Amino acid sequence: MRTTELPAAEAIRPRTVVVGALLATGAAFMVFAALVSVYVQQRQQAAALGEEWFPSGAVELGPAGMMMMTLALSIVTVQWAVQAARAEDRPHGFIALGVTLMFGAAVINQFWFVYQDTAFAIDGGRAELLFYAVTGSFIAMLMVAMAMLTVTTIRSLLGPFGRDLAHAVQASALFWHMCVLCYFLVWYVVFITK
Amino acid sequence: MTLTESPVAESEAAADADGAAAPASPAETLGAPRGLAQPFMTNDAAQVGRLFVVTSLLLGLGAAVIGALLSLGRTDAVAPDDLFGGLNSYFRMWTLYRVSFVLLVVMPLLLGLALAVVPAQVGAGNVAFPRAALASFWSWLIGAVIMIASVLAGGGWGALDGVTGNESDAMALTLLGTGMVIVALLLGAIVVATTVISLRQTGMSLLDVPPFSWSMLVTAVVWLFSLPVAIANIVVIYADLRGRQAVAFGRPESPDIWLQLDWLVEQPAVYAMAVPVLGIVFSAVGKAVDARSSRPEAILIVVGLFGLLAMGGWSQDYFTAPQDLRDGLVYVAFGLAAVVPVVATAGGVGELVMRGSKTRDRLLSTPMLGAGAALKLLGAAALVGALRVIEPLDLLETSATWSVFHGVVAAGLIAGVAALATWSQLLLGPIQQRLAVGAIVLLGAGGGLLVLADLISGFIADDPDLMALALDGNAALNGVVLIGSLLVAAGLAAALLGAVSALRQRATAVSEPA
Repeated sequence: MRTTELPAAEAIRPRTVVVGALLATGAAFMVFAALVSVYVQQRQQAAALGEEWFPSGAVELGPAGMMMMTLALSIVTVQWAVQAARAEDRPHGFIALGVTLMFGAAVINQFWFVYQDTAFAIDGGRAELLFYAVTGSFIAMLMVAMAMLTVTTIRSLLGPFGRDLAHAVQASALFWHMCVLCYFLVWYVVFITK
Repeated sequence: MTLTESPVAESEAAADADGAAAPASPAETLGAPRGLAQPFMTNDAAQVGRLFVVTSLLLGLGAAVIGALLSLGRTDAVAPDDLFGGLNSYFRMWTLYRVSFVLLVVMPLLLGLALAVVPAQVGAGNVAFPRAALASFWSWLIGAVIMIASVLAGGGWGALDGVTGNESDAMALTLLGTGMVIVALLLGAIVVATTVISLRQTGMSLLDVPPFSWSMLVTAVVWLFSLPVAIANIVVIYADLRGRQAVAFGRPESPDIWLQLDWLVEQPAVYAMAVPVLGIVFSAVGKAVDARSSRPEAILIVVGLFGLLAMGGWSQDYFTAPQDLRDGLVYVAFGLAAVVPVVATAGGVGELVMRGSKTRDRLLSTPMLGAGAALKLLGAAALVGALRVIEPLDLLETSATWSVFHGVVAAGLIAGVAALATWSQLLLGPIQQRLAVGAIVLLGAGGGLLVLADLISGFIADDPDLMALALDGNAALNGVVLIGSLLVAAGLAAALLGAVSALRQRATAVSEPA
């Protein structure tokens, strides 16, 4: 058989799901970055006018730091899930995904506490409105990330880990990492620098 | 299609001058959904692309009619208040016209073209996520319906003359529709970009990608960086608007909502919908004269540069004093630099023509005419954009803003028609030449008049403000604007007629028994 008669080699399709997720993650990050930009700009404007942004002591750093620690730990667990999916290690995959979801739920629970603690009214002023817009958007994104991880967990329950599922876990992990990065912005901009 | 031609043969025939072999269209193979189920269940991105193209042209005709009515309101014939039943209604239509042409007409038109053409150009059987492409179309359409219906119900992007009752609810719905449309377009952009990045033929590097596919990749990246900023704007406005007295960003009785979103239809963000125009121009001319550029990498750089200059999320001036941003070095540099890639494109096109076959038929072909007209209008828009940022000319907040807008929109529409003629077999089918040429001539003439009249009006405006852009101006120029708007509407009608007749021919050919 001459070389020209050989069938064409199968095209290598490099991780389409991961590329798509990377682009979607970039877009989601842009939404959040724009929200934080508006927040910072408005706070600077208030400061320039000598106005108080939040009442003194209204926003505590403790719970926010706890959330940062929780999410920092989740970076490890979500990568653990990715590694387990690559190695087709189901037990570790389940544990890692479950623990990551638990961390996500813990952060939402902590935010509920923060909302109760601060007791801001959403129509209290620009600061309160933007506080809810920024943190609410973060919670919405975290819930999307948790939904993605839940779907991949359920899919992994239905059958063995394979190349597709490993890519799905990797895509979910990418979005998760972006959420952690977004929370880092919230932590620094909203809670630390106030 | 003749009896001897199969859909596969048709696709292969459509393999364009860029050299990519078009694969079989999955929707036209056995087992694919047919009839009424097809638009709801198809996995074929080309089919989704056709849905985008026809629907956006239809919406474009509606937007052009609104534009003609608005232009009528600028003349002395009818008072604007009487035309739509009040100042608020006029403002609603004025904003709807602008947002529609960007989000409901030009962007989806070019996205639809990309969904059909890009997989064939990069040698992929289909797009990366065909079901996401279909979801993109339907969520875009539902968002568009919500947006238009809510505007007609008294919503829109703010008001000028106070509000009486439940307009804020309708405005919230308008924001929801706008957000949905943007998310849908982003989803489509992700599908196209992933197809170019991940599903290229083996051996095809990113530098080998044909100009149109490259331009769509650049466009997708620009949209992914710019449009999310508008979503962030909408989140903040919506949070303020809903359920209680708005405190800052979503006051329904003011034009604040519009002022937070108007950057989408102004330079530099407005150029984001013109990036594919460059790709279409290069591809259409190359195919028409059967030539390839000697420096294909230069084409990629030119298109990429224009994309970079079309990043516009940073340019909104609502949150800062306008003069701080718009007199700033970056804004001025972006405005001036946008001319460079358009001029470079003209040079590249010249080189293609010099290298290619210069027979009369080829030089006067529909793609060639379309490419030429689109490039001229885009060049005019970029030139006006450059004049606009030169401070001594004092054009920033004048109707020159809308001169740029109209130039870009008309260029996008003409490029769309040129693409329909260039890749007719991949898209709708052979489009009638008379209708395509008619559409190009009418859109070109109409767009040219609008660009020119709005620019001159900008020079002679005394004390421009938001509504002065819409209502004030020289009487003769307002007449010219009316003629331009009518020509654009007629051009869109011709394009729509051509698209529908091509689709009908295609449907007849497909249903012919083998």
